[in-house]
Amino acid sequence: MNLMEHMGIEPGRLQFSWISSAESTKFVETVKSVTQAVKAIGPNTTYKKNPVKVA
Amino acid sequence: MKVISIDKTEWANGIEKTKSIYRLFGPVKENTWHSFMPLGPGEQPDMAYGNSRLSPKFLVHPQTEPMFEYNLDEKQADHHVLKEIPKDVSPKAIIGIRPCDASAFLLVKRNFDTPTYKDPYWLTAYNSLTLIGYACNQPCSTCFCTTAGCGPFHEEGLDAILVDAGDRYLLKALTEKGEAYIQSAGWATSAPSDADQSIEKLKSTAEKAIASHVSTDKLRNQSTTQLYDAPFWEEIAFSCINCGTCTYSCPTCWCFDIQDENHGKCGVRMRNWDSCMYPLFSLHGTGHNPRGAKAHRVRQRFMHKLKYYVDKYDNGIQCVGCGRCIRLCPVNIDIRKVCNQMNSYDPAACVCPV
Amino acid sequence: MSLYIDKIKETAERLLKDGSVDMVIGFRKGSVPMMNEPCFIQKPQEVHQLVWDSNCGINLANYLTDRKEKIAVVAKGCDSRNIVNHIVENKIKREKLVIIGVPCTGMIDKRKIAGMFDKPIDAVTEDGDIILVTSAGKETRLNKTDVLQENCALCIHRNPVIYDELVGDLIEEQTGIDRYAEVRRVEAMSPQEKWQYFEDLLSPCIRCYACRNACPLCYCPTCFVDESRPQWVGKSQDPIDTRTFHFLRAYHCAGRCTDCGACERACPVGIKVRQFTSKLNRDCLEMFGWEAGLTLDQRPPLDTYKPNDPNDFIK
Repeated sequence: MNLMEHMGIEPGRLQFSWISSAESTKFVETVKSVTQAVKAIGPNTTYKKNPVKVA
Repeated sequence: MKVISIDKTEWANGIEKTKSIYRLFGPVKENTWHSFMPLGPGEQPDMAYGNSRLSPKFLVHPQTEPMFEYNLDEKQADHHVLKEIPKDVSPKAIIGIRPCDASAFLLVKRNFDTPTYKDPYWLTAYNSLTLIGYACNQPCSTCFCTTAGCGPFHEEGLDAILVDAGDRYLLKALTEKGEAYIQSAGWATSAPSDADQSIEKLKSTAEKAIASHVSTDKLRNQSTTQLYDAPFWEEIAFSCINCGTCTYSCPTCWCFDIQDENHGKCGVRMRNWDSCMYPLFSLHGTGHNPRGAKAHRVRQRFMHKLKYYVDKYDNGIQCVGCGRCIRLCPVNIDIRKVCNQMNSYDPAACVCPV
Repeated sequence: MSLYIDKIKETAERLLKDGSVDMVIGFRKGSVPMMNEPCFIQKPQEVHQLVWDSNCGINLANYLTDRKEKIAVVAKGCDSRNIVNHIVENKIKREKLVIIGVPCTGMIDKRKIAGMFDKPIDAVTEDGDIILVTSAGKETRLNKTDVLQENCALCIHRNPVIYDELVGDLIEEQTGIDRYAEVRRVEAMSPQEKWQYFEDLLSPCIRCYACRNACPLCYCPTCFVDESRPQWVGKSQDPIDTRTFHFLRAYHCAGRCTDCGACERACPVGIKVRQFTSKLNRDCLEMFGWEAGLTLDQRPPLDTYKPNDPNDFIK
């Protein structure tokens, strides 16, 4: 994660969580908070491959 | 053909004029090296250069070339149909290409333009080019063009050759394409009658300045299998790290790999440079690799350039002596040394333990 | 440093003569200025080919991978650390090696020196700490310390960390070196600036993989960029694919990189590829107190688990 942020991925876009299959509440909360955080950052415009230019 | 004299103060203006007809490319300085770049309005080639770091072959054979596009959306009428991607065939001119790099196009052409097969991408790009060469007054220490079928003032493969004669350039058209370019620049001052002699003098000085040489006279008559089995390959290949530096910087290496790349339901079939140094280059679908070891791949590169090509076309080695692979190789493998070793190889004299 | 060569030749000859090794891996004189070529010597009468000077920057540990012979290898500080890595990662057996240790005073940066002169360089020789460069018939004296490879200028492990023979007295290690100024400089940028910085850094890349192949750490039978089923990375000049190659390559070096500089030295287009690995090296040092290749007795942090491993990033 450190290197990803070092090369320009916005902090918060890449997140890691450890959730047991029994922790449904934590799973829901994590999904919510990740979604919220990523929405706040906005669409990923950098680390995204564009179609090959043909002309 | 007649020689034109261009006062250096008129040079930039002429270059600028030709941009209305040609897309221009020329050497541009980046930090401490030169690269061939498109020259937009107001941009001039930097003529104070030795040679570009990488060869200008990419202007004819780009490292990545999209060939076809397609879509996989079955709702579309033309789904799964390969459609040719239109290419820009408008006239282009490379200003300041060195004679070795221009000559390299001719060597590659023997492969891409045969009676049986014609590579449309390569040929279209090549045919749209006008090559305004730039004679080398001061060759580099790694240049060995004069013994590689080329030379600092070599004209074959060029449409015109430019010679730096101090305060002026002498420009000699060699083909109709070259004439047309000169006309479009508006350069029309005939050079004094002794221009040919001045060029000859500079040429002979430059040729004498080339200090390194290769011997190629015996390659044709060497037995292919004996060279292939020569004991020196292991020693030559030892330091090689199997990177693509030599092949990618070489003006005469032409190998490529074709790939489809999808993006959603659209895709492009493209070709990318490939290198015989890479294990994947010769890996079979069965999983077998006929060139599975490093030494096999190193041998392949040199055998192709200095033996197979020589045998197939009977027209010299597949090398113009530009010296880039020598300058850029991370581990100092030197094609001059290898060439001489191959040329002088005498299987009968070899007493190496088997 | 060139004084070492007599001792290197003498050691190589002795080891070959008494049959302790089948081959000696070292350097022979290059064919262009500021380049030497890795070579192997199998006969005692051929040891005269060996050279040692400030142009031996290639990491010879790269030539040991999976070799079965008994080998003597000439090793400066970083090479020796990569040999340690190789032994720890089972790529070579310690008992197959005779390590000829060379206390190193750094390798010179051929690109930097070439950039200091308008005309091509005809010859480079050295006399102790002075580098003598001949260009266009004129000789210029340079201080070696001013023209070192960047990783050598920042090196704090110049002495071999493991050796069987030593070709000279151990030298004093550099202290008080700020090894990670470049990492901090990039860290201070905004995400957009960082992205652009690496975009510009990698724009000349021709995907020749010289950086990967010069690295002793990269010995996978098939690299992820070459894998075709599945294909992880596109093979074109696409900048995203190029970036993916570079940062994933760096990740594979995490906790293993000795900052030998072989990658940067090998790059034909002069990309500062250490910008990726330096960040990981700094993080490894800060998080695990780890520098790669210093000891045979400890497993690298990334292949062990400790309850107190830093794990703040997992939420």
